[in-house]
Amino acid sequence: MTRSPKLVTGLALAGVIVLFGLLGPLLTGDPATIRDSGLTPPGGEHLLGTTLTGQDVLAQLAHATRGSLWLGLLVGVLATVLSGVFGIVGAYAGGAVDEVFSLFSNVVLVIPGLPLVIVVAGFVPADQRGTSTIALVLAITGWAAAARVLRAQTLSLRNRDYVAAARVSGEKTWRVIGVEILPNLLPVIASQFVFAVVLAILSEAGLSFLGLGAADSSTLGTMLYYAQNGFALQREAWWWFVPPGLVIAVFGGALSLINFSIDEIVNPALRDRVRRDGDVVASDPAPPEPDAVLTVRNLNVVYRGDTPVHAVKDVSLTLRRGEILGLAGESGCGKTTLAYAVNRLHRPPAEVTSGSVMFGDVDVLALEAEELRRFRWVKLSMVFQGAMNSLNPVTTVRAQLKDVLTTHRPEMSSAQREERCAEVLRLVGVDPARLGAYPHELSGGMRQRVMIAMALLLEPRVMIMDEPTTALDVLVQREILDEIKRLRDELGFAVLFITHDLPLLLELSDRIAVMRDGEVVEHATAEDLYLRPHHPYTRELLASFPSLTGEAGALTR
Amino acid sequence: MGYHLRKLAFYLTALWAAVTLNFVIPRLLPGNPVDILMAKLQQRGGSVDPAARQAYETLLGTGGRESFVQEYLAYLGNLLRGELGVSVSAFPAKVTDVIAGSLPWTVVLVGLATLLSFLLGVGLGAVVGWKRGTWLDSLVPATTMLSAVPYFWLALILVAVLASGLGWFPLNGGYDVVLDPGWSPEFLASALYHGTLPALTIVLSSVGGWLLGMRNMMVSAMSEDYVLTARAKGLRGSRVMMRYAARNAVLPSVAGFAISLGFVVSGSIVTEQVFSYPGIGSKLLQAVQNNDYALMQGIFLVITVAVLGANLVVDLLYGLVDARTRDRSTVS
Repeated sequence: MTRSPKLVTGLALAGVIVLFGLLGPLLTGDPATIRDSGLTPPGGEHLLGTTLTGQDVLAQLAHATRGSLWLGLLVGVLATVLSGVFGIVGAYAGGAVDEVFSLFSNVVLVIPGLPLVIVVAGFVPADQRGTSTIALVLAITGWAAAARVLRAQTLSLRNRDYVAAARVSGEKTWRVIGVEILPNLLPVIASQFVFAVVLAILSEAGLSFLGLGAADSSTLGTMLYYAQNGFALQREAWWWFVPPGLVIAVFGGALSLINFSIDEIVNPALRDRVRRDGDVVASDPAPPEPDAVLTVRNLNVVYRGDTPVHAVKDVSLTLRRGEILGLAGESGCGKTTLAYAVNRLHRPPAEVTSGSVMFGDVDVLALEAEELRRFRWVKLSMVFQGAMNSLNPVTTVRAQLKDVLTTHRPEMSSAQREERCAEVLRLVGVDPARLGAYPHELSGGMRQRVMIAMALLLEPRVMIMDEPTTALDVLVQREILDEIKRLRDELGFAVLFITHDLPLLLELSDRIAVMRDGEVVEHATAEDLYLRPHHPYTRELLASFPSLTGEAGALTR
Repeated sequence: MGYHLRKLAFYLTALWAAVTLNFVIPRLLPGNPVDILMAKLQQRGGSVDPAARQAYETLLGTGGRESFVQEYLAYLGNLLRGELGVSVSAFPAKVTDVIAGSLPWTVVLVGLATLLSFLLGVGLGAVVGWKRGTWLDSLVPATTMLSAVPYFWLALILVAVLASGLGWFPLNGGYDVVLDPGWSPEFLASALYHGTLPALTIVLSSVGGWLLGMRNMMVSAMSEDYVLTARAKGLRGSRVMMRYAARNAVLPSVAGFAISLGFVVSGSIVTEQVFSYPGIGSKLLQAVQNNDYALMQGIFLVITVAVLGANLVVDLLYGLVDARTRDRSTVS
């Protein structure tokens, strides 16, 4: 694992402050000694100056840091235990226990914490307000947010296969929680603990500053209280007032940095990423064939990284006017990367390192950002693999169809746009009344039809379809394929159809390219490929699918 | 049960819990608040007749003369009638009057500052997430550092630099005391001027949390298929960012508003104290320092009701921004 600079900085800063709290009081002398020198600025004998009563600020700071850290640790542990009990145990037990625990956590969460602490502190007489009382009150008001997070995590872990397996095999509850669940929750617990410590130190500082802190302790908050009541800022004695706040801020900041790093370990997508300037390193256009709408020549796509992955190797394809070109291959063979690169939708660290993509006689790889944007969907539209998630879940079908028209056809009137949206829905056999529907209100097949309707909106000459029917059941799949063929015959667009399903392509496509490990190993008409497969991999693929009569290998000749 | 009904039921439960907590705390903790109150009342020249004592006992406990249930029912009855008792620190004013006089200040200050902070944090977070890998990334640790600074410390530093040092802002107070509170333009301008520094403190301290949350959700949203579709559609970058990525990424921030609002309210109490702002936070501390238990309880109740109410409104609005919640059947 590579250490992130955030983690190193965070650990170093927090470490320095913890060391200061541990060792400082031993080295800096008695914080309470009163000298008649009064307020003196930093320098000489007193590195951080003295207070109004001549006490050494550095010595006070060391003791106060220790006090605050101790309180933070106490509250952190208490709050983490509480959140663990209500979050993890509740979620694991499920049913009524979970309902009650989670309701309780949520109620505690929405009742504002500090006002409650202030009221409690107000009722407890000052001489009975000890560190443990304050710690307990802060823990009781501060655990609920963490419990919520832990509950959500536990719920997702609980349904994992290995946890279910352990439960079915009759392991004891405490063992399942301790051995199977807790270790996986550790990063989350650690991050919640860190958060609880910071919150406790901040809250305690606030309480002490208001004169409501523990009577028997000296913390950064009490130090600030005395500084404020000694009019430190009015006397311009910044050395008295600034350091305690700074220690809190730096410690809090350091723990936040540690929390960032934990988040990034849990969720690698959040890591910092170096942005590259271009998505295309080189393009060497070649003259296209006369009837070709889309020509890909010697295209190479590489995922840059510690170990670069050459995902697309020297691929050449030609899509002719009105034809359906099938692209077959197993998952991970680079066919989706190829589809994205054709429209330059690939993202860093993927890069086109050489080759060309010609749309008619337009060099797609050479387009400027704005030209590329105007090219997309107008000339070439796409239907994606994860069609279930390809629609924006929070806006209506209408909004998602219309924004294509508002962007690319600004001259159309609102009524014309509405009419065009209804028209494409009718084309794919969806009732235009569904324009007002949200994606979650549509079935999988409906959503895929909406996606195809969207791809038809601007009547592009080419449509790239990436596994458009894979997630659908067989009957719906059949309907949609028939729909695609009918629309192609009516409207005359060309299709690059990508799937792992070779028999489907044999039936649908005019020509087929077979891809393996980033290379096109065979490229022929559907008939030739079926009757006379040349490459051993093609034969292997054909043999691996059962024929429609159910006999394995019957497709091979 | 519908989404709205479920939310309403939850907040009623929370309200009941807060009211009960308010009833239980003075009875469970050590000390004898009623006697302290009566002594205070006498100092201020108030009547110490049995009726006054009984009013406080209903609020704080009879010391075992009546059963818990009787006390609880009497207490709930008083609450329903809006009787929160008499304040001893502002004697002879009633608690409700003290609260009514200070609440608007806090609602406006905290409300505006929170709204500003939310918009700023979410807006910046969206941009920082969208432009990941640029110098903007450094905004995240910078604002998080600001959130780790105690509110009151930041407030005092701001006062020292911007008010005492540069003289740009008044040192404290909510308005210029020579003016009469009212809706006159002078008074409103003065209130705005006095409120700027407290609001700035709240915004600076709370913006980091919103920013970080939004940035992280933005990064996740950007790898979603619908954002890829939007880019393939040739939509302008700004539209992809706003209508697709940010529109989805903001949902957890809205849903998590409840948690954050509690923190902001807590922080603003201390901030008000620093600025001697005439809001409910200063009054709460004044009540604590003067053992004005009736006022203390009343204010806690009002703060809780305000926070619960704000959360309820946000939750109901959430149903509007995410159509899926209305059809879902589980409680969050």
